Amino acid sequence: MTEPLFLSHEALADLVAGLIAAGTAVIGPAPAGGPVIPGLEERQRPTVTGMYGTLEYREVRSADDLALGPGMPRLSLKQFFLPQNEALFAWKRRGAETEIHETPTTFNPRVVLGAKPCDVAALEIVDAVMNWEYHDELWNGRRAATTIFALACGVEDDHCFCPSVGVAPDTTKGADGLFTPVSGGFLVEATTDKGRVFLESYGAHFSAPPAGGTDEARAYREAAHGRVGANVQIDAVRVKDWIEHHFEDPFWATLGVRCNGCGACTMVCPTCHCFDIVDEEEGVGCGTRRRCWDTCQAGKFTLHASNHNPRADQIARYRQRINHKFAVYPVKFDEVLCTGCGRCVRTCQMGQNIGEILVAIDQYAQQTGEAPDTTDVAAPPAEVAP
Amino acid sequence: MNIYQPQLATVTAVIDETVDTRTFRLEFRDEGFGREFSFRAGQFGEYSVFGAGESTFCIASPPTRGGYIECTVKAAGKVTAELRELNVGDTVGFRGPYGNWFPVDDWVGRDLVFIAGGIGLAPVRCVIWNVLDRRDEFGAVTIVYGARSVGDLVYKHELGEWAARDDVTLVTTVDPGGETPDWDGRVGFVPAVLGEVAPAAGNAVAVVCGPPVMIKFTFPVLEGLGFADDDVFTTLEMRMKCGVGKCGRCNIGSVYVCKDGPVFTATQVKAMPAEY
Repeated sequence: MTEPLFLSHEALADLVAGLIAAGTAVIGPAPAGGPVIPGLEERQRPTVTGMYGTLEYREVRSADDLALGPGMPRLSLKQFFLPQNEALFAWKRRGAETEIHETPTTFNPRVVLGAKPCDVAALEIVDAVMNWEYHDELWNGRRAATTIFALACGVEDDHCFCPSVGVAPDTTKGADGLFTPVSGGFLVEATTDKGRVFLESYGAHFSAPPAGGTDEARAYREAAHGRVGANVQIDAVRVKDWIEHHFEDPFWATLGVRCNGCGACTMVCPTCHCFDIVDEEEGVGCGTRRRCWDTCQAGKFTLHASNHNPRADQIARYRQRINHKFAVYPVKFDEVLCTGCGRCVRTCQMGQNIGEILVAIDQYAQQTGEAPDTTDVAAPPAEVAP
Repeated sequence: MNIYQPQLATVTAVIDETVDTRTFRLEFRDEGFGREFSFRAGQFGEYSVFGAGESTFCIASPPTRGGYIECTVKAAGKVTAELRELNVGDTVGFRGPYGNWFPVDDWVGRDLVFIAGGIGLAPVRCVIWNVLDRRDEFGAVTIVYGARSVGDLVYKHELGEWAARDDVTLVTTVDPGGETPDWDGRVGFVPAVLGEVAPAAGNAVAVVCGPPVMIKFTFPVLEGLGFADDDVFTTLEMRMKCGVGKCGRCNIGSVYVCKDGPVFTATQVKAMPAEY
């Protein structure tokens, strides 16, 4: 990590203006556009101290749009790397001939400023599957074109549980650098070459930290650690071990019956990456093949042509979601497919709470008296180890 | 060109298999790609009809016959219904080959028992021809093939060819009620008929493919005949979209059928959660 530099609010405005003038898109949390939903704020859960649902990540026109404070954008950052739908290629038939029009896999430069560290960490986690033998050029192209500075998080509410899954409110995983709020602006550090190049290129906007700035930043980050640490305390390895060896267990039914299969949790999730590939005709003999977000919570997701369905009910489908995140992905890629952002908890209409579920699994694992297999310990949070 | 963009191929032959199933022979438009293209028995591809979408099928022709690939398709959904309507000269898309394969080279010198049900003969046919094209390298070849009814048997012309060979033992069967007056094969479910045929386990390898329920009941029969689970191979079907381990729907437990399979030994299948 580089020595921290100071970026005042005024300098941030100039930096954003300069980037946009140079043709670089600037993406960050901003007040959600679109229609105002009456009563939205009243319907926020009482535990939500931030502004969940009122912010969204979007391309901003100036620093005035940016909301670099508390508040969890409704959707994660993944939409900028795996769009809700995107063209894979287009085709056009001319008589017996069919032409394919390729989709470019290089992208214009972008800078993300002030993203939630959990959302940024999710990108690095998903990098693994997107490069599992076959390289997803569309994902990688967007990753390469984007410089990301995360914003150290002050922790939104008691649904945040990032430390339980190996992430921290000030992690720089997946990021090129980190902003930490201090009086009058931000302390900015770079953690990758891309981040360092960025700070050098726009060095004029940065200055030496003000007196006490570094201490203020440290205090802010330590306070966040303290705030989030108590939310969900589990042994991630014990949870993984239990899930792996209890595919058939009455426990799953108690979760599955509380799920109506809407799939909202998978849409708001920063790490859920499952997709569908569909053709869209755009006239006679021409169209586009698109990739769209999909959800493992839908019955058709796994329906065979023969009508056999390996995940025939919501119990199986809910188990799949938990299993994929906390056992399959760790086995395959040595990462938990969750960053503890808590969006699924805040979004679920049925009150499913993944934090509570993880705690329940952990307790259940201890009650059933199974010693956790600690031979392949990934990185359990030491303070909550048994 | 990204990994989801298919190669173009031309339909050069269409063979009617059953009332709803056809085999298509495809040749790549890009001759250079066609020359370079190679695959192993058991691998699959993503086939597309532009406008309808993509669907996953094994490559049903053997790797020992170059210049083309074949797929056998039963009209069941949107893409397969469109595929079924294709004529010679039409264009399709193909991505692949994907997945692992049957370790045919490891089977040199051993007896081979092929067991298939319905359209599950397609991937097995790929291996059968692969083996018959290298006939001298293998021991006895036994094929047990069944379908719901006589009308549902695929590759009928090739069944005749195999039956006529004296270096192949072919037993065909149809489910009870599926026989016709002139049916001279057996009547009974594939696992039961396999038990009657009782091929010697000895140094044999078994290849099984069919509907999940057939695979489920065939494994114990093979076990009873003395086949070791490591010598029993199958290829699994799961709904797929990407074929390359990304889209997230074909996993059974921590096994991704598209990348870790589709070919598995009975040992591997039995170690999977009972989801399939």
